[in-house]
Parts: sequence; C-alpha cells; structure tokens
Amino acid sequence: MTRHSALLLQFLVLIIPLLLGLAILGWGREGAYVLHGWLIAGAAGWGMTWLLDKMNDDAPEIPLEYKDDVIKWGVLACFAWGVIGFTIGDVLAWQLAIPSLNGDMFWSNFGRIRPIHTTAVIFGFGGNALIATSFYVVQRTSRARLASETLPWLVFVGYNLFVLLAVTGYPFGITQSKEYAEPEWYADLVLLITWVAYLYLYLKTLSRRAEPHIYVANWYYLGFIVVIAMLHVVNNLAMPISIALPKSYPLFSGVQDAMTQWWYGHNAVGFLLTAGFLGMMYYFLPKAAGRPIYSYRMSILGFWGITFLYLWAGSHHLHYTALPDWVQYLGMTMSIILLVPSWGSVFNGLLTLNGAWDKVRTDPAIRFMMVAILFYGLSTFEGSFLAIRPVNTLSHYTDWTVGHVHAGALGWVAFITFGAMYKMVPWIWKRDGVYSLRLEAWHFWLALMGTLIYVGAMWNSGITQSLMWQTYEPSGAFTYAFIDTVDAMIPYYWMRAIGGFLYLLGALIGSYNIYMTVRGARLPDEGSDAKPLAHPAE
Amino acid sequence: MTPETHDAVLYFSKTWGAVYLFVVFVLAALWIYWPSRKPIYEVARQSPLSNEDIQQ
Repeated sequence: MTRHSALLLQFLVLIIPLLLGLAILGWGREGAYVLHGWLIAGAAGWGMTWLLDKMNDDAPEIPLEYKDDVIKWGVLACFAWGVIGFTIGDVLAWQLAIPSLNGDMFWSNFGRIRPIHTTAVIFGFGGNALIATSFYVVQRTSRARLASETLPWLVFVGYNLFVLLAVTGYPFGITQSKEYAEPEWYADLVLLITWVAYLYLYLKTLSRRAEPHIYVANWYYLGFIVVIAMLHVVNNLAMPISIALPKSYPLFSGVQDAMTQWWYGHNAVGFLLTAGFLGMMYYFLPKAAGRPIYSYRMSILGFWGITFLYLWAGSHHLHYTALPDWVQYLGMTMSIILLVPSWGSVFNGLLTLNGAWDKVRTDPAIRFMMVAILFYGLSTFEGSFLAIRPVNTLSHYTDWTVGHVHAGALGWVAFITFGAMYKMVPWIWKRDGVYSLRLEAWHFWLALMGTLIYVGAMWNSGITQSLMWQTYEPSGAFTYAFIDTVDAMIPYYWMRAIGGFLYLLGALIGSYNIYMTVRGARLPDEGSDAKPLAHPAE
Repeated sequence: MTPETHDAVLYFSKTWGAVYLFVVFVLAALWIYWPSRKPIYEVARQSPLSNEDIQQ
C-alpha cells in the first residue's frame, strides 16, 4: 500500500466514529451521553483533519531509527491512569471502612465508582503499559521501525478515548453491568476500530522484521491482542435500544450470558493481565539482567499451554450456579492444569536471574520484576486452588476473591510494569538512568508493604466472613446475622485502606521519579553505542 | 436443542475433545523440542542481549 492510499484508508475508517459521534450528539438525550458524542466526533474529526494535512504534505523523510515518540505518550498515559485508578481504589477502600464517606450522592455509591477504579487500573494503567511496551519490544526484536507513521497515534488516541468514555460514563449510570466490560455499545465500537488497527500495525511491523525468528515476547503480545479482539467482540454483542439513549441489551440471556461474560472476564485476566505481561517479562527481564531466558523453548511451550488452557477456565467463576455441572467441572479441571504452564513461566523467569541475583539487591527495577514473578506464582497457585469447587464454597462471594485479584494485579501486573518502566523510560528518553535509585527503592518497599497488608487483610477477612456465614446452630439456624459478618470486617477494611494508601504513595513517588528522569540531562549523542545495553551472557 | 443432541455433543467433547488437546500438546512439544530446531531457539534466546541496532 502506498503512503497516500494508507492515509486515505485511515481517513475513510475514521468516518465511522465521526458519524457515530455526530449521531449521538445530535439525537442523544442524556447529558453524559451527549458529551460522549462530542468527544467521539471531536477525536475523529481531529484525526481526519490531521490525516488530510499529511496527505497534502510531501512524503516526510522517515529517519532510520525506532519510533519512540508515541511510546513516550503511552508511558505518560500509563502513569496518569495508574495514579487516578489507585487513588479511586483507595478512596473506595476508605468508604468501605467508613461508609458515611461516600457523601450519600447518587454518583458516589460503590457500584458506580468501583468500575472507574477497575477500568482505570486494568485498561488505563495496564492497557497503556502493554501498548507502549509492545511498540518498544516489537521494534527492537524485529530491528525495524513501526510500520506506520500515523497509525500508532490513532491507536494511542483511540484507546485512551475508549478509557475516557468508559470512566466518565459510570458515575452517570452508563454501564451494561458486565464486570470489566461495562462500557456501552458505542464505546465498544470505538475500541473495536482501535483494536483492529492495533493488530494490523503489530502484524505489519512484524512482517517488516529483519530477524528470521519472531522473538517469543511478541508471541505473548500478539496472543494478548488477538484474544482480546475476540473476547471483546463476542461479549459485547448487544442491541442498542435507540440512538437517543446509551442503553443496550446483550444478545444472550440467562446462563448463556453469564457464561459468555465469564469466558470474557477470565480471559481478560488470562490474556491482558497474564499473556501481555508475560511478554513484557520475557523481554525486559533478560534485557535488564543481561541474561538470556533460562529456557527459551519452555517459554514457547508455556505460550501454547496458556493459550490453549486459559480459554476453558472461565466457568470456574460460576460454580454452583445454573450453569450445567459438567461445564463447571470442565472449568475447574482446566484451571488446575493451567498451573503447569503458569509455574513453568514462574521458574523460567526466576532461573533467568541465575548469575544475576546480585542485581536483585542493587537494582530496584530487577527487584520489582523478581517480586512480580513471585506474586505471579502465588496468584496462579491460589487461582487454581480457588477454582476447585469445594474450595470455592469457602471463598466465593467473600473478600478472599478481592485479595486474590489484588495479589495478581498489585503484585504481578503492576510490579512487572514498574520494573519494565524504570528500565524503558531512561532507554527511550536516552537518559543515563533513573533520576533516583533511592526513590525507586522507596517505591518498591512501599508497594510491597502495601500489597502484603492489602492481601493479608483480605485473606483474613474473606475466611472470617465465610466461616461466619457457614456457622449453624444445632437447630439449623444461622449463628450470625449478616450484619454481624459486616461488623467483623471493619478492622480488615481499615488495614486494606492503609495498605492501599501505601501502594498509592509508592506510585506517586514512582511518578515523580519518572518525571524527574524525563526532565533530567540527556545522554550525549554517540550513535547507537550510547544505548545502555546489557552484554550477552558468557 | 434436544437432550439427545446435548448428550451426544457432550460425549463428543469429553472424549474427542480430550484427545484433541492431548494431540495438540504432543505436536507442539515435538515441534518445539525437535533437536534440529535447537539452533533457531539458541539464536533467538540471545537476540535481545545484542545491540538491537535498527536495520529497516
């Protein structure tokens, strides 16, 4: 495709969101929904004029260097969404400890604020981290520049527009009530277009590679992109009731809808929060430690294991429901088998550090990654364990689930992201290193303390809750009223709020450290030799 | 869907589904661990540790 026809194609595709936005802002009848129409039309219109501009310009001289400008914005978005998401999460934690803190306003109740937290951290923080690092990794491992000058920007803007539409809709009740898939149909359409563009760009860049073999990190990133596309489309099949209102109804109903939702939900965990971040680990850990992956072939076997097994595990979210028993047992069995490739990745990561364990002590970024792998091992073991039906009777609907999720999200996803960011930021901004290793270490210890307090509190509270629910009098009556179990949670909720605060504090210090790194002195330009690269292992 | 169709599909999934997954696993493992393919992975393993100079 010539440069001109590629720009024209992107221009034509942007007509879809432009019309969508215009229709919403014209026919919409609710304030937030109309505002969303303006945002979509504005972003699409901006993109189209920008592309028109490019079409009228002469073809620019594309330098023979990696395209890192869009990655820098991705880092910024990642930290901005992270701080927003952690803050709202901790506000929620304090509200649970002290319920009157929600101010008794329609938009401030738990049901409306909680998805802002989950969307901001999973899609805002995690998603931007994955997109930014995937652009970095695919270029380096392919020895090739991103395949388009304009598409990376459209992907970045489109993706963040989606997150913005999502989090600004929830307080006004714009949600389809599917956990982690709350955004309504029009935001889903924006993401769909963005995601297809992302997949196309990634494949196109891989096809330009100068290396014969596609490095394994790209397999994981690609698995993440492809599976998220599939999940997003199927779980969001819905019929809008009218263009005037944001509301839609899903195509499936009842238990089919529940199964579709948790097929989506669990694979969002499996392919966004696991496969994508494993891709990050398999590039940034060897790079930072200066050691090759312990067993490259195991990383590939693990890839196929995770890809094939995760897709069957979702039904463990629906134990003892109307879902047929055999589907529940299928989900349980697959969840248990899943432990094998998961722990394969854990050992592969840890053993990669053989010969570089001293760096765990001296380099906080590597410490972040090492602890991330430990938490990955912990939460995948816990996940397989909780998926066993009788265990699930104890844990389900309790805070144990919340603890499990946060062991994975705070301990694995965010730790590996912080580790990778502390390495990637000086590399792309061409800085000597991070502004302050001491602040980096402070971030690490605050984050670790926060996570341990959070997860410990939720384990205790979850098991207490469950045992109280399941205690009976000899007559068969419940020993405890439900409100007794709520009262028993209060000390744990305080602990959680404090743990969350420590985590937030660490993230703020981390953001400051990254900001000061970016503001700091640039490395003298000595060509490619100036890059702080590790040496191959002996 | 009649109960008979349901049972037939279920039986098929339980038996041939398991065989399918096992065969896929064996094929993947053979493909990955085939001795003649070892050098490919050895090169790939070291690849991020080089200078990673851009080529195109």
